[in-house]
Amino acid sequence: MFKKALLALPVAMAVGVAGTAAQAEWQDPNDVLQKLLEAQPDSKYLHQSEMNIMMMPDNPALYLLDDGEELFYKERGPNNASLESCDFGKGEGVLEGAYVELPRYFEDTGKVMDFEMRLVHCMKEIQGFTSDDSAVSQRHGSGSDIMRLTTYIAHQSSGYAWNPPLDHPKEQAMRDAGEVLFFRRGGAMDFNCAACHGDSGKQIRASVLPEMRNSQEWTKAVSWPAHRAGQDNVRSQNHRIRGCIWQMRHAGILPDTPVNTALISYWNDAARGEPAILPDLKR
Amino acid sequence: MFNRRILTAAVVVSASAALAGCDQFFQDTSDREVDITQMSPEELAEYLVLETNSFRLDQDVQEGGTARERMQQDEIQALCSLEGSPNSETAGQVVAAARASYERPDGGVQLGDWRRGAELARSGYGYRVGHNNDDHGTREPGANCYACHQMDPAETTYGTIGPSLANYGRERGTDESVLNYVHEVVSNPHQYFPCTYMPRFGRNFLTEEQISHVMAYLLDPESPVNQ
Ligand code: HEC
Ligand code: HEC
Repeated sequence: MFKKALLALPVAMAVGVAGTAAQAEWQDPNDVLQKLLEAQPDSKYLHQSEMNIMMMPDNPALYLLDDGEELFYKERGPNNASLESCDFGKGEGVLEGAYVELPRYFEDTGKVMDFEMRLVHCMKEIQGFTSDDSAVSQRHGSGSDIMRLTTYIAHQSSGYAWNPPLDHPKEQAMRDAGEVLFFRRGGAMDFNCAACHGDSGKQIRASVLPEMRNSQEWTKAVSWPAHRAGQDNVRSQNHRIRGCIWQMRHAGILPDTPVNTALISYWNDAARGEPAILPDLKR
Repeated sequence: MFNRRILTAAVVVSASAALAGCDQFFQDTSDREVDITQMSPEELAEYLVLETNSFRLDQDVQEGGTARERMQQDEIQALCSLEGSPNSETAGQVVAAARASYERPDGGVQLGDWRRGAELARSGYGYRVGHNNDDHGTREPGANCYACHQMDPAETTYGTIGPSLANYGRERGTDESVLNYVHEVVSNPHQYFPCTYMPRFGRNFLTEEQISHVMAYLLDPESPVNQ
């Protein structure tokens, strides 16, 4: 279904054997963005904000990196442990390329986990935090531990191609359920995600919306964490999902839940093969 | 392009019957109790939405009832959960369901006050729940038309998901057949456009009075939409 993504591979990476790990290497987020802009000169979505494109080298999200790194290596929590033994899927403490290969199935929990779910899992299991501790309960805003850690960890995958694994049957099941969810209509206005992200160049009020079937638009769309200029805060993939579902007039979505995981499994897959912009800068 | 298979009520019932008692599994550290690989994607999606505590389903919502009812699909939502356009059979079912549920207001379709309609058309407030709840007691819910349509040609920010409605009334007039048609579209557009992305504003969303104001904004010769 995603042959389109394969055709676009040369933009950022050497073509590897189909089905193997991504071949890309780390690239500065601004370089990734510039290449996408060149590859898609007619994309209204990618080119909509000249201001943001200009500001990209000074993306305020970059200011979170140092704090995030410190938090990652610091011995913290009731167990006085660092996060170095956290396995994001590529081995304990391996961060390079890990973010773009999530969600994935984890043997130790027996389930498919998205990035934020996994991070919270590690902070609880390794560091001993509980749901009530602000270190894990505060999910949003540049001042939260979670967003600082997220930005630092995600940045280690900048320029790598999205490549969420689908080898485990549960990974495939969650991705496929995510696809159904993308088209599942409901709520007070009968919306599904495709209502606003199904066509190219469509606008909701002043925003030009990314199209899910254009993987070079979609890689930017799913490139979170990102500094949202309009909110003056760094935001996560999960925060974006919550915002769209709220605008859709569906029920309120809760953090660390499998609907998030399924949607992210599907949307990261829809950006497969394209390089991630981590962190990005958005309207 | 593929048309997503329609999820029938029967599938939902059998999925939840088979899974009864396992509601909590995603909150445990292990999902060994339920094998998600044994479900079809449609069954799994339904299960994730309704039975894994992913949503605040018990929350009260503005139209009455709970958020759970919002997330349980009605016939039109289920039939229209597909990528692209419906095939002719599905389209026929959708149109029939939409016509069956449509009600013309008592006393016929009337135009209200276009000034009130202008405010409603611009407002995106209302019916949002979750981490933040729209309070209809302090502010009237709006109609969101500008999110998708150009209307007043002088307004510069508008969405493009729907066609431009600039000069809509000037081109059509306000005779009874026009009033009836526009009311049918605003109340339940699936009667003419099966599986459209335009919401059904007559279904627990706008009051008949609000619809009359929005219609005046579209059709009244005095309205800025028609200047
Ligand atoms: C009613 C229209 C609407 C619906 C329905 C909708 N979205 Fe969005 N979406 C938006 C808007 C508006 C933005 C923000 C664009 C901006 O601010 O530039 C957005 C942004 C996004 C982005 C980030 C794009 C970017 O520029 O970085 C993603 C990813 C996304 N939506 C996914 C989804 C998913 C998944 C769903 C279904 C759960 C969904 N959306 C449903 C309107 C919608
Ligand atoms: C989520 C987007 C959306 C919103 C919100 C929306 N519409 Fe629409 N509307 C559409 C689309 C799309 C169509 C075209 C029908 C189709 O082909 O699907 C349409 C069609 C129409 C038409 C029929 C045009 C014709 O050809 O005769 C009218 C009238 C209309 N809309 C009025 C309104 C009014 C009034 C509002 C606000 C109360 C509104 N719409 C809100 C998306 C929307």
